[in-house]
Amino acid sequence: MAVPVTAPANRVRPVSARHFVRLKLRVMGNNFRGQGWRVALFLVGSLIGLWFAVGAFFGLAAPGLVGDDRYALLVAAFAGGLTVLGWLLLPLVFFGVDETLDPARFALLPLSRRTLVTGLFAAALVSVPTVAVLLGLSGLVVTAGVFGGWSAALVSAVGVVCGLLLCVAGARAVTSAFASMLRSRRVRDLAAVLLAVLAASLGPLQLAGVAAIQDTDWGRLTGVATVIGWTPFGAPWTAGIDVAQGRAWAAPVKLLITVVTIVALLAWWSRSLESAMVGAASAGPTRARPGVTGGVVAQLFPRATGWLRRDRFGALVAREARYWWRDARRRANLITIAVVGLFVPVMVNFGGQGFTFDSDQGFSAAGESSPVLVSLSMLFVGLLAAVTLANQFGFDGSAYAANVVAGVPGRLELRARITAFSLYVLPMLAVVAVVIALVLGEPTWIGFMAGALVATYGAGLAVNSFVSVLGAYSLPETSNPFAMNSGAGVVKGMLTLLAMVATSALAAPMVLAAALLGDAWLWLGLPLGVAYGVGAALLGAYLAGDVLDRRQPELLALVTPRR
Amino acid sequence: MTGEHPALALRGLAKSFDGKVAVAGVDLDVPAGSFYGLLGPNGAGKTTTLSMAVGLLRPDAGGAWVLGHDVWADPVTAKQLLGVLPDGVRLFDRLSGAELLAYHGLLRGMDPAVVDQRAAELLDVLALADAGRTLVVDYSAGMKKKIGLACALLHGPRLLVLDEPFEAVDPVSAALIRDILKRYVAGGGTVVFSSHVMEVVQRLCSHVAILAEGTIKRVGTLEQVRGDRSLEDVFVEVVGGRTATGEELAWLSR
Repeated sequence: MAVPVTAPANRVRPVSARHFVRLKLRVMGNNFRGQGWRVALFLVGSLIGLWFAVGAFFGLAAPGLVGDDRYALLVAAFAGGLTVLGWLLLPLVFFGVDETLDPARFALLPLSRRTLVTGLFAAALVSVPTVAVLLGLSGLVVTAGVFGGWSAALVSAVGVVCGLLLCVAGARAVTSAFASMLRSRRVRDLAAVLLAVLAASLGPLQLAGVAAIQDTDWGRLTGVATVIGWTPFGAPWTAGIDVAQGRAWAAPVKLLITVVTIVALLAWWSRSLESAMVGAASAGPTRARPGVTGGVVAQLFPRATGWLRRDRFGALVAREARYWWRDARRRANLITIAVVGLFVPVMVNFGGQGFTFDSDQGFSAAGESSPVLVSLSMLFVGLLAAVTLANQFGFDGSAYAANVVAGVPGRLELRARITAFSLYVLPMLAVVAVVIALVLGEPTWIGFMAGALVATYGAGLAVNSFVSVLGAYSLPETSNPFAMNSGAGVVKGMLTLLAMVATSALAAPMVLAAALLGDAWLWLGLPLGVAYGVGAALLGAYLAGDVLDRRQPELLALVTPRR
Repeated sequence: MTGEHPALALRGLAKSFDGKVAVAGVDLDVPAGSFYGLLGPNGAGKTTTLSMAVGLLRPDAGGAWVLGHDVWADPVTAKQLLGVLPDGVRLFDRLSGAELLAYHGLLRGMDPAVVDQRAAELLDVLALADAGRTLVVDYSAGMKKKIGLACALLHGPRLLVLDEPFEAVDPVSAALIRDILKRYVAGGGTVVFSSHVMEVVQRLCSHVAILAEGTIKRVGTLEQVRGDRSLEDVFVEVVGGRTATGEELAWLSR
């Protein structure tokens, strides 16, 4: 353990990972103090985690319990691999990482980087998801034990623990690296593209998986599983099965692969951690460009908002529009919508029947998706886009005080925010509709697909206007756009779920219409969908604005980070 | 009409957080045209009081009136007459200084041409024009205070409420801010500001109130509060600070 060297006269006691874990537990505990609802949320989150964990446990133990060792390797490789993949990608796309211990806070302490990384790593292990994963994947130990006795079970247990370490290290390394990339103005566009490619590569992977399952060629699948088992994605999970199936020599090699990967990930994390610690004070200086032409009002309005009137509404829209681009946290959300918006419909609509490969035509998947299926996938995209606004005031933090002091009417505020966000989202939705329709080979569907998108998006805006006014929570003021306060994860999850369910209910008529109206819907879908969406959004802003008027100070208190 | 009402009137303002009393019933009358200093040690409730006075924090009890307009019952009129520089609150700092001023001006319903003209003057006078398109988040602490003050002044309010306007400001900028505030008061405006720097208060204020433990301990014109002693002596006496250390902290001197 590295010991910081100071005056030799004083005995300096070494700092170990234990201190970080205790610090994290203490911070979590203090967050709960006197906040009954936080405790309740934490319990609910834990119960949900436990429920999934138990389900996963029995799912993974099933090959052992049934006694069918054909599936043992398959289940271990695929379930384990998906778990690792999920830990890598989900924090980027949906959930963010818990930054109860913000690395920037340790910048001034005389700690070696090694101490810091091991400490933060140990602290990161203390969370509901890690416990849930550990519990769930322990099912593999049962399977290994049934087929290979105690030795296999032991190896499997070691493998599962190593696998968990791999997951956590991977999640930390990836979010930290992307955070520093998104912070730097030079490479942030590169980061966006990388994220897009990463997420988009999920699509083909899934297609391959579906195609493989449809072939029900177990031999080939087992081949795939064997390959996965030798990558870091599957190595820790399959080691125990290998022992059970008589390949004991493979186990140490696989564990070695895992350990090397963990060390590499931690090294990667430690590099980006440094930039996070130093860069926390500022988001990187912009070059001062004097000699600005035009008045200050002209400077406020981005070119795309030139058509707006120079009044309160215009100022609010212009400021929001600038923020969606300049604030790393918001920009990360926009990128997510763009990426997920494209690849989820592709997966849903092609996943149903899989690709057919013709030697002369290449990949084709034309003509097999149905309007209902497409509408459903559009519903998801619209939902996802709108739910980004569920904590729109949390993005502002205490800066929202400016609007409270100026006495901005709630309805105006919400309408302006919706308008600014739509400046980015509506073009994206249009692209989604056109691209998906063309890929499906059904250009005539563009109309009702766009209609379904706008209708869901509008209904979602209405729902999320309420959620954002009533259920706002503060975001930590760190430079990591993926960071969340401890406990906020559950809040965010619940609110998102609530908003999504409500939006789905409101948007259901679009899917029903697609199912019942047949060809007429091809033409009616666009005008009716757009009218429905715009109407819903305006009505939502109207009603929620009234609520906002009555609780502006309370909202400000909710979004102001506690210090 | 401004002569009939005090520029700011607080009646029985009280607030507690999680059962801990922050402000325990504050009554205050700020005469129009005065330069009012709200003095108090850290944690006395200055920020909480001023936040309730301007409509940022809902009081548990009591009310606030700006030139006779109830801040909580008739916020629109009251807020039009108010300019506020909050402390410990972020600005919309991912805008440049110019953009921020334009935002505040339009948000107050001002004519764009007037915003342009006044913002250019303010940026010039406060020596912020050189910053160009630098985002406010990259400003120094002193520059942030100055741009915040510019935002509060832009719409020509009748009453300025400033929370710690001289904190983290270098002497040159502080002198500049003092001059601007003096001119504003000379022109018929009213300033209320909080501080714990005696020297500044003594130099600027016509009236003083000392706030400690959530209540007003002394109030009146500077002369009334000070008497024939220095303001600092009165302050320390009222607040009840301790003086000098003896044996403890001996290890510091080595």
